[in-house]
Amino acid sequence: MNMFTRTQKKNQLPFAIALLACLVVFGIYLSNIRTILVIRWVFGIAFGFVLQRSRFCFTAAMRDPLLTGNTSMFRAVIIAIAVATMGFAWLQYAAHLSGCSVPGMIKPAGIHTVFGGILFGIGAVLSGGCASGTLMRVGEGHLVNMIALVFFIAGSVAGAYHFGWFKENLIKYTRPVFLPDLLGWGAAFFGQLAFLFILYWLALWWDYYSRNE
Amino acid sequence: MKNQNLYKKKIKRYLDVILKEPFPYWFGAILLGILNVGLFAVSGEPWHITSHFVHCGAWIARALGVRPELWAFYGEKDNAEALAQGFLRDGGSIQNLGIIAGAMLAALLASQFRFRKIKSYKQVIGAVIGGFLMGYGARLAFGCNIGALFSGISSMSLHGWIFMASMLAGTYLGSRILIRFFLY
Repeated sequence: MNMFTRTQKKNQLPFAIALLACLVVFGIYLSNIRTILVIRWVFGIAFGFVLQRSRFCFTAAMRDPLLTGNTSMFRAVIIAIAVATMGFAWLQYAAHLSGCSVPGMIKPAGIHTVFGGILFGIGAVLSGGCASGTLMRVGEGHLVNMIALVFFIAGSVAGAYHFGWFKENLIKYTRPVFLPDLLGWGAAFFGQLAFLFILYWLALWWDYYSRNE
Repeated sequence: MKNQNLYKKKIKRYLDVILKEPFPYWFGAILLGILNVGLFAVSGEPWHITSHFVHCGAWIARALGVRPELWAFYGEKDNAEALAQGFLRDGGSIQNLGIIAGAMLAALLASQFRFRKIKSYKQVIGAVIGGFLMGYGARLAFGCNIGALFSGISSMSLHGWIFMASMLAGTYLGSRILIRFFLY
């Protein structure tokens, strides 16, 4: 009994159970509005849970290989992409076979992607977290990331406000490029997996190489 | 008595593995991949985050008297629909809230939750500038590290690969800026 009370001091389990109850109640409330909402709610919680428990950070994945030579997070991102690619390709190919338009995140590729990616990369390093990382750290109680989230939203709105200009002057001349349309389904799918595999080994080599420097 | 102690230790060990110890990166990566496929299968869209940040901001802006429905961004059908429906009917915003809630739940279960204070004013400047740049960049690139990088590449779209290369360059520049202006 004595031992129990001692561990009780820093134990946050009761709060966790209280939070879980709140989450379930909100889920029930959502299910009365629309079923898809409660599904998205559960998926969000699962994403947040996995992100926190595995300390997943896309910013570190992109930053550390060049900064410190540590590629363990980068390689994890490669694994995640490889797993998702297999599932996505299956869903997309099924849609393709049934004659539907292919679903997925297929957006215009061009110089605006380069600008956007560079700005995003700089921002992620300065604020210490990307989109998923910021949300995850807000959940962990980091005040800095709460500030970052507010300005993340402000920046998104500013970007959306100027979106018309970019659309007229940059994005209009580009188009979405779906690799299977360009290379064929087999070459795109297996080519991408092979490329991810090569990236993984390059990252592993880079890790050893920079450690021996 | 000795047996009982051993038993207690064993239970504690199991509880720690279940509730506290970090997953290895590869395990988290596989789980995230499977979750993303599952989400794609049930909702028809892969995981993305930032476009719903715009909706959140737009609802606030609308409450302040701005008319976001006139912006080109809300000329697109899905975006206009989300804007009209509001927070409690926008699955993506609910999902983003869920990410915060899920991370909080994991931290509480592990007894690791605490309000982490801001260490210096430079951190605040970094958060303000960095947050804004991320938001703006994500709009230009049609997505963030999740929507463009993770889901974009997994959808076999070229823009995902371009985003990854540019984000690598961006994080390199960002680290230079961080070292030059923010650390000392």
